Amino acid sequence: MVPPMNRIHLILGMFCLALIFGKPAAALAGEPLDQLKGSTDKVLSILSDPAMKGPGKVKERRELILKTVDERFDWEEMARRSLARHWAQRTPEEKKEFISLFRELLERVYADRVEGYSWNKIHYDEERIDGNFAAIKVKIFTAKDQVIQVEYRVSKKGNHWMVYDISVEGVSLVNNYRTQFNEIIVKSSYQELIKRLRAKSVQN
Amino acid sequence: MVGFFLIAGVFCLGYLSIKLGKMEVFGAKGYEVYAVFSNSGGLKVGSSIVIAGVEVGRVRDIVLEDYQARVALTLSKDVKIQEDAIASIKTKGLVGEKYLEITPGGSEKIIPPGGKVRETLPPVDIEELISKLLFEKI
Repeated sequence: MVPPMNRIHLILGMFCLALIFGKPAAALAGEPLDQLKGSTDKVLSILSDPAMKGPGKVKERRELILKTVDERFDWEEMARRSLARHWAQRTPEEKKEFISLFRELLERVYADRVEGYSWNKIHYDEERIDGNFAAIKVKIFTAKDQVIQVEYRVSKKGNHWMVYDISVEGVSLVNNYRTQFNEIIVKSSYQELIKRLRAKSVQN
Repeated sequence: MVGFFLIAGVFCLGYLSIKLGKMEVFGAKGYEVYAVFSNSGGLKVGSSIVIAGVEVGRVRDIVLEDYQARVALTLSKDVKIQEDAIASIKTKGLVGEKYLEITPGGSEKIIPPGGKVRETLPPVDIEELISKLLFEKI
């Protein structure tokens, strides 16, 4: 039997130990989510800014939004993951060109959707951190009261958690482009893929 | 003589059930990795794992872990999975059985035996998507 006084010491000691060693990840929890939320809030504030409204401001507004998105999106990682096993065969120049074409492609596809924003509310559901990687689940409530489930995948680069994939309703952006790019490269060639991406960028 | 046929018959039956049930008697050849899905909806133990439509392994086990589905995959040993490979649960046809598809990545790092496939995608709920499309028109 342990004397009562010692027992209190024992409990206190265990409590301190638990404080020191218990779940170091818990102390970091929230960082990826906070950073993502910060960027999203910034985009939303640009969109709702009365000074940024009107047809004359479209270009300026888009540039401002893109700047914010650039701070949070890891374009190189996204491009690398989308090109998958074809990435290693490219020269540094080709990689650079591909990243910029890929960024333009996403910009074109998503800018209109973001600008035609009719989101009522964004609910940050949950965040799962696994070392230098994290997944953040977000629910977007549209003006029509529909719920769109979005999941962000982020990885830590220095002090920043950068987005490298987005899934909307369980469909991943990287997986989608990975399949498409692979099909084009396998059927014809990498040059053909670049040709198509360039043609798309000229269209705009 | 009758005994011989009986034994041969039982042996054949055993062989058939193992083959048809796709069970492994002497331990699965290959190695095991695991993947955590937010929803494993419909995936079963024994479901096939494919890359580019070619079967490369089978689901060995599915358990609940931290309210997520932890799926153990047995892959044949000559198949290497990159660290940024994506595992997604797909449906054969519109209402067919579920299987697991792996889209290979481009990373130089290979997932070792016992490692984790980090990038996973739950099955797409077609019903839900259709209902969302329908409701938008109202």
